[in-house]
Amino acid sequence: MIELVDLTKKFKQMYAVKNLNMFIERGEIVGLLGPNGAGKSTAISMLSSLVEPTSGDVRFENNSILKKPAPFRKVVGMVPQNIALYTDLTAEENLLFFGRIYRLHGKELERKVDEVLEQIGLTDRRKDVVKKFSGGMQRRLNIGVAMLHDPEVLIMDEPTVGIDPQSRNYILETVKRLNEDRNMTVLYTSHYMEEVEFLCDRIYIMDKGNLIASGTKDEIKQILSSEKTISITMERLNDEFVEVLKQNPQVNRVTTGEKEVTILVPRDANVFSEIIRLAESTGIELNSVDNKTPTLEDVFLHLTGRALRD
Amino acid sequence: MIGILLAKFKGFIRNPWTFVIFTGMSMLMAFIFGGTGVDKAYVPIHGDEKIKDSFIGQELKELEGFQFSWMTEEEIKEKIESGKAEIGVVLGDNDFSIIVGVDSFNADLVQQIISGIYQEKLEREQILLAAGQNSSDEKNILNEMDLAMEQPIFEIKSASFRGEGAFVYDNSLHRVFGFSLFFVIYTIAYNVLPILIEKRQGIWDRMILSPLKKSEMYVANLLYSFITGYFQVLVIFLMFRYVVGVDFHGRFFETLILLIPYVFSVVALAMLISSIVKNVQQFNAALPILAVSMAMIGGAYWPIEIVESKFLLMLSKINPLTYGMEVLHGVAVYGYPMEELLFPISILILMGVVMMGIGIHLMERRHV
Repeated sequence: MIELVDLTKKFKQMYAVKNLNMFIERGEIVGLLGPNGAGKSTAISMLSSLVEPTSGDVRFENNSILKKPAPFRKVVGMVPQNIALYTDLTAEENLLFFGRIYRLHGKELERKVDEVLEQIGLTDRRKDVVKKFSGGMQRRLNIGVAMLHDPEVLIMDEPTVGIDPQSRNYILETVKRLNEDRNMTVLYTSHYMEEVEFLCDRIYIMDKGNLIASGTKDEIKQILSSEKTISITMERLNDEFVEVLKQNPQVNRVTTGEKEVTILVPRDANVFSEIIRLAESTGIELNSVDNKTPTLEDVFLHLTGRALRD
Repeated sequence: MIGILLAKFKGFIRNPWTFVIFTGMSMLMAFIFGGTGVDKAYVPIHGDEKIKDSFIGQELKELEGFQFSWMTEEEIKEKIESGKAEIGVVLGDNDFSIIVGVDSFNADLVQQIISGIYQEKLEREQILLAAGQNSSDEKNILNEMDLAMEQPIFEIKSASFRGEGAFVYDNSLHRVFGFSLFFVIYTIAYNVLPILIEKRQGIWDRMILSPLKKSEMYVANLLYSFITGYFQVLVIFLMFRYVVGVDFHGRFFETLILLIPYVFSVVALAMLISSIVKNVQQFNAALPILAVSMAMIGGAYWPIEIVESKFLLMLSKINPLTYGMEVLHGVAVYGYPMEELLFPISILILMGVVMMGIGIHLMERRHV
């Protein structure tokens, strides 16, 4: 349905996106993962015909979007990363406004506004001014606006940034429902692995403008088939302990959290006794040592040597 | 396009404070500095009782625009030394002298007026002398003459306002025009700014993806800015014309019409600024600097005629406010016909078209 062919965007001397190749089939939810500055937003701006690429092409139903954007624009709904709403207007007024610019009028417009408000759970708050909404409600309305004209393709640029877990779940469920009930094709960008794991059939991972991995969730996790992830929690993080772990020849990568250290080691390595020994030698009291199932986060760590939210 | 306008006006009704604040500021400043139109320049004057009761005294009493206050010569000097008066006048039987404290344009004007009165006095005396009548008929002759002067067979009027160094100054109108044209820059600019904000927020991206044309998006936004800006000046002018009672010399309607090119050029200027700055903070920093500079060298605060620096005068030639003031003064104070105002109007329209063109071009290049 949609194809990105060697898509490149260069700003002065810097590549924001370099030779990106992707495809999206009708009815699937595709995740585009990467940390901040990976080039996700630039990629989807080019995909949605808002930014002209330096080179490459975007094709929709085998026709170039760059040459003829109108047919694609007709079927695409865009959820930008920012709250792209008039905050002095009410939720209903915003929907009426964006509905009108999509040439919806009269009863049809009213019906669509009611339907979207119902879908995003804001029917009771339709008369409230948007600036008085919580972050989560604003995000929901931000999505609702993109759904007014019944798009076939929904492009969502980090739609859950900065909201509470309850609103995030609501949004994720809404996206899932839209895909299942209406066979809506969704491109979902995020730097939250768990969202992408929950929603997406296939995943593309970007870093520094490059595509570094792609495939289904299982295929991506297979990248880690030769390694396993071990999570070590403790009362207080100790630099000396982290340093000795890094110097251990069996440990491939080390990342640290507040009270947690995650290490990647070869799949057949037995490092539990070694970890306990190192903890004792550095005077650390361990709370737990867990052998974790690999996650997309671990894959990203393996591929780039950094955590996704760095 | 109508949809965008409707949304903008709804937003305006919910949040009219930018408009209200700048309209209020314009009115307040014009009111404080310009008064109600009855302000007269204070001029202390000395002359003996005979002169005070004579033709000269009567003429000075009837003069509009100056408040002559009789006192001793010493008192005049004191007033000037303490800065309470700019100039003072000492009247003699056949001549007068002017004591100048501050070399302002009022000094020339007072000298011109009093010379005129003395000349008229001399003419009357010559007429009486030529008539050779006795004193009882003097009154009749002079009355006959005044009557004849009031009802002349031919009325000849001549006026020249573009002469070197001479200009007519109506303080009240100047302040109303000056502060209106100055503060409307802010209102218009803060209504154009949302284009930049909406582009950053992604609202414009949404509209670009819709069937809406980009030209409609620009026209709707700029039209809204124009309407609010024009409405602000309209409210201020109506207020000063009908509530405060400032005299527009019968050209109120023309003033409102000829305001249009200025408002258009300011909308274009705001568009240009929005396209150059990188963010709202830069816009907020640049706007007051630009607006105040424009007001200073464009004659909004004080008459451009008193600016002597050639460099500032040169800068004023590329300032829309200079031409805005020229048009409004031209129509209301000088009573110029339309042909006389075509030059500043054309400049304003040209500036508007050029700035709008560059602004939209830069905006499109930088922000897609």
